Amino acid sequence: MTRLDVWLNEATRRLSRDSAAQVRAEIQAHYESAREAAMSGGARADDADQQAIAALGDARTANCQYRKVLLTASEARILHQGNWEARAICSRVWLKRTLLALPLAALIVATVFFLRGSLETARILLVAGLGTSLFFAAPMLPVYTASRSRIYRVIKWLAIIAMLALAFGPDALKQSWLLISCLWVFFHIERTRASIRRKLQVADWPKQLYL
Amino acid sequence: MNFKGTLPTLILEALRHEPTHGYRIAQQIKERSRGVLDFKEGTLYPALHKLENEGLVKSHNSVENGRPRRYYRITESGRKALSKDRAHWREVSQAVTVILGEA
Repeated sequence: MTRLDVWLNEATRRLSRDSAAQVRAEIQAHYESAREAAMSGGARADDADQQAIAALGDARTANCQYRKVLLTASEARILHQGNWEARAICSRVWLKRTLLALPLAALIVATVFFLRGSLETARILLVAGLGTSLFFAAPMLPVYTASRSRIYRVIKWLAIIAMLALAFGPDALKQSWLLISCLWVFFHIERTRASIRRKLQVADWPKQLYL
Repeated sequence: MNFKGTLPTLILEALRHEPTHGYRIAQQIKERSRGVLDFKEGTLYPALHKLENEGLVKSHNSVENGRPRRYYRITESGRKALSKDRAHWREVSQAVTVILGEA
């Protein structure tokens, strides 16, 4: 393994396959130019190699910076999974209609129960309606521009807070440990999506990043 | 010399006249600063990718002397950001000069 390979392995650690390939190609070309320049300045091959690697600096620092601007392996996985889910839903019309009908049905039934005075059942159904509409109906809304998507995400978080308040009432804070342990996967995905949004230009966003 | 935070501005300045690749950008910064601004070249590319994510530069693949290269060019928003950074830098450097001059 050459010095450059060692440097590249460290610098591309935990990056997605595409990002790593991009870094490798760019650094390889850079290294070769630097090596040629050193050799034309009179350095021996081994010294030129050493100088070119030294000029690149610390591979760990570079890796840290690359992970802030290029997709990591876990982010690429989440993007891929999200695309698969979207395709699976959108390619089946009956599934799409069912998922659209679910929150609507839950909200209608919640209103009926509320009018009849069954507040407890209405509350549960309202939470279910809000939850399913957030996850299932939102992709069908016209939110696929940067500004609309930002507004939608604010509304989404407000709806989530409202949902939790409705579901747990005044005990929501007391049961925070339960909420955190149940919702950490959701928060992790949201955090990863926010990170991906920073790394991709809006024109390259897949639909799931708008939500 | 450590010039953390100014690297993106220097990259935009290096791209102001013509599109070029990372190695040439690094050389240009070193030559134009007469070797005063020396930096680790491995940190140049993350900065370039960040500028690209922000829409301030665009890139395309090309071949130079049989070697595949990624060329970067400044965008219109990149030019606006550069002139803003230049104005800000003038203001800061004038203020520092005044303070150091008083000492």
